[in-house]
Amino acid sequence: MTVTSQHGGPDATSARAAAVSVGSPGRVAPWLRSQTSRRLAFGYLLLAPAVLYVILLVGAPFLFSLYLAMSDASVGDPAASFIGLDNFRAAFESDVFYIALRNSIGFTLIAALFKGFLGTTLAFILLQPFWGKKFIRGLVVIPFTLPISISVLGWKWMYDSQFSVINWFLSKMGLIGTYGSADWPVWLGQPHLALIACIMVNVWRNFPFSAIVLLAGFTSVPTEVLDAARVDGTNFFQRFRHVVVPMISPILLIGFLFDTVFTLSDLGVVYLLTQGGPANATKILPVLAYQVGIQAGALGRGAAIALFLFPLLLPLMILLLRNLKRREY
Amino acid sequence: MSEAQVSTTHTSIVSRRGFLKVAGAGAAGSALATMLDARQAPAQIKGTTLRILQWSHFIPAYDAWYDKFAKEWGDKNGVKVRVDHIPHLEIPARMAAEFAAGAGHDIIYNGSSILTRLYYKNLVDLTDVSEAAGKKYGGWIPSARSLVDVEGRWYGLPIFYILAPMLYRKDLFDANNLKYPDTWELARVAARTMKAKGHPTGIALAQCADANLMWRSMFFSFGGTEAEPNGSAPTIDSKELREFLKFAKAMFDEGMTPEVFSWDDASDNRYLASGIACWVHDAISAYRTTEDTNPPVFKSTFLALEPQGLPGKRVSVAAPNVWMVWKFSKNQQAAKEFLAHLIDNDLEGMVQSRGYNMPYLTDRYKKPMPVIGTDSKLEILQDFPKIVAFYGYPGPSTTPIQEIVNTFVFPDMITRHCRGQSLEDSIKWGSGEYRRIYAKYKQA
Repeated sequence: MTVTSQHGGPDATSARAAAVSVGSPGRVAPWLRSQTSRRLAFGYLLLAPAVLYVILLVGAPFLFSLYLAMSDASVGDPAASFIGLDNFRAAFESDVFYIALRNSIGFTLIAALFKGFLGTTLAFILLQPFWGKKFIRGLVVIPFTLPISISVLGWKWMYDSQFSVINWFLSKMGLIGTYGSADWPVWLGQPHLALIACIMVNVWRNFPFSAIVLLAGFTSVPTEVLDAARVDGTNFFQRFRHVVVPMISPILLIGFLFDTVFTLSDLGVVYLLTQGGPANATKILPVLAYQVGIQAGALGRGAAIALFLFPLLLPLMILLLRNLKRREY
Repeated sequence: MSEAQVSTTHTSIVSRRGFLKVAGAGAAGSALATMLDARQAPAQIKGTTLRILQWSHFIPAYDAWYDKFAKEWGDKNGVKVRVDHIPHLEIPARMAAEFAAGAGHDIIYNGSSILTRLYYKNLVDLTDVSEAAGKKYGGWIPSARSLVDVEGRWYGLPIFYILAPMLYRKDLFDANNLKYPDTWELARVAARTMKAKGHPTGIALAQCADANLMWRSMFFSFGGTEAEPNGSAPTIDSKELREFLKFAKAMFDEGMTPEVFSWDDASDNRYLASGIACWVHDAISAYRTTEDTNPPVFKSTFLALEPQGLPGKRVSVAAPNVWMVWKFSKNQQAAKEFLAHLIDNDLEGMVQSRGYNMPYLTDRYKKPMPVIGTDSKLEILQDFPKIVAFYGYPGPSTTPIQEIVNTFVFPDMITRHCRGQSLEDSIKWGSGEYRRIYAKYKQA
């Protein structure tokens, strides 16, 4: 709408604006028709599904959980009201939250170390030529592909306080006492052992994934480069450190990122093995969030606990992705 | 308009609406009552589908019977019935998902963790069904109401609960001149004596349902209470709690092993069946497991009434099971009719579950009851309904209590003390968690 002046005609500003708007199509249209703009438009068009996917499947749930975390929503009452940061404050007031936070970080770091070491070792083994290699490669991914409930049930039996096959084996070897003695480990009953037991299952389940990722990286390293390094007199570790790792670092970083996200948000292993016990010794943030948010129905507080994973993951993701980008150029 | 006129007009509107409401409710209620009396489903449910979600029962034969029972009812009434079974621990998550989606099953089951108060605004009022059943079968046992009652209305139908009595090895008791475990003190003496001979006892001190149930039985029998009778505030921090915790620690030190910190709900079954335990405090699934896997031990396994804590004080905390109907269900009529039929046949359910399912209706306790009334070892279970309680005793099963149960505050407090934390520090932590959780709900 054009603003009219007190004298009846358009004022000076509107007139200038009109002049500009009349003149623009002539200047913009050729640019729109240019090859650059068409390439840009085509690029955005190709990008659109991915952006839409991220908005719908990542952005929307994230914003929704942010909304829940700042409301008094419960599972049975959708009419929630805004309560600001009360749910976050409630989490800080509970010492179970601090235990869960500490355990989550410790769990992820220790598991990552073991998965890195075992995954690398397995990847190197699988690189070697041997009979039945394809079959063995198929076998190693079984822990990763088995439904978590089935595999954890198996582990629960192996950790059973009375019938643990691990304990019976160690006992037969003379490494521990007999059942009922003081040095009979109660895997899921002693706080530190219980956490180690949970980490072991997580490592067992996921190190084949690390191995497969690394294997893909190793096979992409040209043999000529490795041969050249060998001619230069490098040993295995030097080749690994100075040739292989820098060449496959983008794959390593992405693998590490995925693994960290999966481990930090892994509810299944701990929930099925211990539910966070004994006395919260194995409680991690996803389990606590599930118990408070879903089982007890305090959706807002559960969402707030779950959101604490975000500040833990965000700096790590930014660092890794920046590092990755730097390497690309 | 004068004040009188306003008043008249207002009254007139209210009374017309009120009349319609009352008349509608009366018509629906009498229709249901007639329907229940006549044992005939109304014509409008014919050709509909009824979807039921429930747990996988610990006694698989019960599930087989239930599915057949539901199908037969459906065939008779022209309703297609679909029953889905999932592990009971998954039910709260499934319930939340169905509520969020506004779609799913018509009838939904809750076991142990009863979420009526969380969802009641979205559940069908089943007061008519419960009143009809109560009238027909001599009323409900006192603790039933506390599970499903919100502001005087029943939003769920309690069908059965699971008892957890004392199961003891009579051969070991007799051989060691131990007295029948009629009090917790006698049970402790037995555990102390038998642990030294390789037969300790055990009550789970991990994060599992058994830990929540069994230790509460002991605590309440020592005169402790968890909340006010109206459920408004926690009453956990008390002299009774101190006495109980001292006793629990002594019981653990003298008669148990650290294995109990790792137990799940089936561990004590295995402990008894393996011949190790001198006694356990558990559901009769432990008895059945022993019957199926170790006949010699089973032969000398007997049941005892809930031990007394204080003289004459016995409280047995049971695992409740309740069925509810979603308000979004398009087949509420069929759901109500099916539940009425189910409660009419709760004794058959008790038979099919091998005595595991205990009814809530008073007349069902006429001796001899099916299965347990004809088994000399199990007949003592018939005396339990008077002492049965649920979480939150003596108050109802409120939402703060459900959070306390689901985050295992009570067993964790005992675990802390048994692991060496001082009595007062354990109580400070435990009662602090109770207060914190209650305060959150008060604020909301």
